[in-house]
Amino acid sequence: MLRRFCLFALLLAPAVAPAADPFVAVTEQTNRKVVKVFGAGGFRGATNYSTGTLISADGHFLTVASQTLDTSELIVHLYDGRRMKAVVLVTEPELDVALCQVKVDGKKPGEPTGLKLRDYFDIEVEAKKPHAEPGDWVLAFSNLFEIAMRDEPVSVMQGTVMSYSKLHGRRGIFDFPYTGDVYVVDAITNGPGAGGGPLTNRKGDLLGLIGREIKNSLSETWINYAIPTDATVTLRDGEKTETVSLPEFVRLGMQGKYKPRIRPVAASGPGGYTGIKFVPNVLDRTPPYIDEIMPGSPAEKGGLLVNDLVSFIDGEPIYSIKSYHEYMKRTRADMTVRLEVRRGDNLQSVELKLGEWPKGMLKPTVTLPPEKK
Amino acid sequence: MPRTLIFAAVALGLVAVPMARADDVNDATEKAMKQAAKSVAPFVVKIETSGGRETVGGGGGGGPGGPPAIRKGVGPTSGLVVDKDGYIITSTFNFANKPSDIFVTVPGKDRKVAKVVATDTSRMLTLLKADYTDLPVPPAFPKQNITVGQWSLAMGRSLDPEVTVVPGYSRGVISAVGRIWGKAVQTDAKVSPVNYGGPLAAIDGRVIGVLVPASPQGEGETAGVEWYDSGIGFAIPFEDVLKVVPRLKGGKDVGRGMLGFNPKEPGEEYNVPVTIGSIASDSAALKIGLKVGDVIVRIDGKPVPHYSALRHTLGPKYEGDAIDLVVTRDGKEMKFDKVVLGSANTAFAQPFFGILPMRDDPELGVEIRYVYPNSPAQVAGLKVGDRVMKIAPVGVPQLVAITGGRAQLAQVVRGLPVGMDLQVLVKRKKEKPDDKDKEETVKLKVGALNEELPEKLPMPSTAGKALEKPKATPAPGGPPKPPAGRNKPADEEKADEPKKDGDEKEKDDTPTGLLTDQVNKTNAREYWMYVPDNYDRNKSYGVIVWLHAAGKGGRDAKDMKKIWEDYCDSANFILIGPKSKKNEWTSTEAEEVVTTINAALKPYTIDRNRIVVHGMGIGGQMALYLSYHARDLVRGAAVSGAALPGPAKDNLPNQPLAFFLIAGDKDPLLKEIQDTVEKVKAKKFPAIYRQLKDFGKEYIDQKTLDELCVWLDSLDRI
Repeated sequence: MLRRFCLFALLLAPAVAPAADPFVAVTEQTNRKVVKVFGAGGFRGATNYSTGTLISADGHFLTVASQTLDTSELIVHLYDGRRMKAVVLVTEPELDVALCQVKVDGKKPGEPTGLKLRDYFDIEVEAKKPHAEPGDWVLAFSNLFEIAMRDEPVSVMQGTVMSYSKLHGRRGIFDFPYTGDVYVVDAITNGPGAGGGPLTNRKGDLLGLIGREIKNSLSETWINYAIPTDATVTLRDGEKTETVSLPEFVRLGMQGKYKPRIRPVAASGPGGYTGIKFVPNVLDRTPPYIDEIMPGSPAEKGGLLVNDLVSFIDGEPIYSIKSYHEYMKRTRADMTVRLEVRRGDNLQSVELKLGEWPKGMLKPTVTLPPEKK
Repeated sequence: MPRTLIFAAVALGLVAVPMARADDVNDATEKAMKQAAKSVAPFVVKIETSGGRETVGGGGGGGPGGPPAIRKGVGPTSGLVVDKDGYIITSTFNFANKPSDIFVTVPGKDRKVAKVVATDTSRMLTLLKADYTDLPVPPAFPKQNITVGQWSLAMGRSLDPEVTVVPGYSRGVISAVGRIWGKAVQTDAKVSPVNYGGPLAAIDGRVIGVLVPASPQGEGETAGVEWYDSGIGFAIPFEDVLKVVPRLKGGKDVGRGMLGFNPKEPGEEYNVPVTIGSIASDSAALKIGLKVGDVIVRIDGKPVPHYSALRHTLGPKYEGDAIDLVVTRDGKEMKFDKVVLGSANTAFAQPFFGILPMRDDPELGVEIRYVYPNSPAQVAGLKVGDRVMKIAPVGVPQLVAITGGRAQLAQVVRGLPVGMDLQVLVKRKKEKPDDKDKEETVKLKVGALNEELPEKLPMPSTAGKALEKPKATPAPGGPPKPPAGRNKPADEEKADEPKKDGDEKEKDDTPTGLLTDQVNKTNAREYWMYVPDNYDRNKSYGVIVWLHAAGKGGRDAKDMKKIWEDYCDSANFILIGPKSKKNEWTSTEAEEVVTTINAALKPYTIDRNRIVVHGMGIGGQMALYLSYHARDLVRGAAVSGAALPGPAKDNLPNQPLAFFLIAGDKDPLLKEIQDTVEKVKAKKFPAIYRQLKDFGKEYIDQKTLDELCVWLDSLDRI
């Protein structure tokens, strides 16, 4: 009996020992690197506050590129309770990030602020650290629901990384601009005001910036995500394409050298030609059953048959006629695509070399979401 | 003992000193979880679909009465291997949008076409089959060892399309066991469409359960989805899943096991023992000979003190499962061993005599106003003008006299199983006034209420003596004592006799005509009503509750009066139009609306058999909501352009409810309305459906209006 009890106590001991909370030091340290951001909004469901992550001793911070920043009266509350003005230096919509800086009265733009903040993340250093992986425990810091003011520390949530993968986001009818990998976590960070706060691992390393309130269009659920510290975006400048990472954006932005690009208008053509005609598209999600195959077309050459169901293109699921056309818009003539079609109870894989649309043939009309203003 | 404690304390102290760094504790847990997820990963299947609807649930377009329609994601969902031959279990939610094609990918194998084998409609699991062989099946965490507080990982394949990776998981603990009437375990890990159908894994790599949306109140594939990511998530214990798989493999859906009765006091969950109020035809209860009035005492040796306990005990059972049942009848215990439970589909058909009674008639018995064609009454040779005097099942020597008018007859008939043979004593209609009374006993087999609508009903419908006390039986030796609870004259139809302080106030209490800008005193809800100018308190009035369309609150009073006043005047109906507090109706307004209606009707003589909610569009949605949530008040719902948001509720014999459903064939909700008709008919509610050609969202056409009038006038059928 006694021995059993001792053994039990032994097992129990580490859990009951005091001062064992490993998150305490990390949260205390990280909280100092967070600012509360107050700006425009507050009507029509738009929140007028967000969270900022400090990235320099001179008061530079990052937050989401939201409408909160559309004001000349941007205010931040620092960790120590100081209420200061701030300015947006530059934003990058495709990273959904804005670089801002605390403004000190009497200092000109570009001049050192003299703030000499001790606690901030060095984004160059943080971006070089290894990625977190699914299953890693994380901490999310944010002013969710505007609970903290002045010197009150922001709210800390703990959770788990659920995935590091592409985001399929939808805000209203708009598609989300950032297309890279994100951390999806199971801490519920998708409330108002959380965007821009730091997501860290258990050791306090900066993994990314908490994103805004959007729905995952694959699952139709509100998604809790963070844009990783080393996120990159590929920008087109005329004929050139250029890849910019978040740290580069920060570095150039701090030097006043980052130029927002003119966004290329998304190609709105129908893409490459397969020669497939589908059954009438009468439902929200009409399954893409082939109704007719044009003579001499790539589809005929590839051996597709009437009544085949187009199910995947290049491994991506095609769940309706609409999603087929949306996928094909991204293709062009002479590209080769791999179609998987359901024929009977089997999946057949077929490669098609896409052609040019024959002259005079009616092209599919795909309703595009309205242009984002 | 104290010595033990001291030693324990010492032991504690000793180990506390060289304790490892606190951080390592989390390191170990995090690592163990990753390992657990990794070992479950090979069994987690990716499911993809093609086609299907954009939105599911919500009856289309939201409105009161349920969660709004939700968009169904197009992304992959998750399943779990349960048999080496390619059987995969998943959440029925994943196919709520009725996709045309399903594809599955088992990690390390090719993508395959999958077919739905069968669905467990009790636990909302669907079994799929794809052409795989030699699949590994995950080990189950023993159900009896599932403990509140233990770690649990909710895993799913929605976020990362790569099927080779370990599925992402949300971390939590087991919050409760035996939830959802004993069917599910609860976790605070985030459960959502991202992982429905995936496993809830234990930290040792065994499978605790299969993640599903669930709600103790709701039924159907989307019930409980509103709680996604809330910290309240559910999983069906994997042991239970593996147990039902062999049955599902048979290809037939498996549903809840039911005894097939309704309790005498349906609203009482905890306070009273379960007394049988009525028994469904074709039910397990009927087959073993349970009787109305029997009290359920024990099931499988476990005491069943109240209805909630009954639901917990029977909740996990399937149709075809056997239980040992103990009831008390007249104070004596009766044992029924190995009772095979029936299916939930043995809905209660409303027992039917086949007549319309004359209203407001204090004479003995019930005068027949109308005999339904091909009804039991017609087959038995009953005719208009005959009076039903006494009834009893065949073989019972003493017939029960109908002393409480049509209310009593209706109540007696409702308690009878469909198919029962009755002996009925009728007093035949006199051809000439000075003919002698002619009584005879006929045989009548109780039928099931169908949705046949008479073409035209004879008038008058009332004897016009609503305020007279029913006459006592002039039998020698005093009136016969009816069996308790069956036919107390106290239940007769004048229960709603107008409450008045004195005759001189009567006029003021019962204003007539179109009464606009009325306000309920207790909840300040506005309403209007139309009371026929020829209102006669000696006649009982039916009530049409008009639930206005969006934004029309109060402004449609005159229009509605114009349409309905002639009918109200001749068929004795009062029209009442409560106003919503906002533009549209919300379900939270239901209570106030009911209070308002009850208060407004108080001064009048009301026929409780003919209270109908009526509306179109969002008003129709509200009408459907009220029909299910104010069942002690509402006897019918006449609804145009609205659909039920969730599954249909059960038909309750003591609270009959009929539907008159109308859809324009151009209405975008057409499909949902047709589904609604199917749903209520499946529960054996009498339902009439009219689809109007070239109609979208307009009010109904004349022909349908005429039919609706007949329907309204026939709701007190017996």
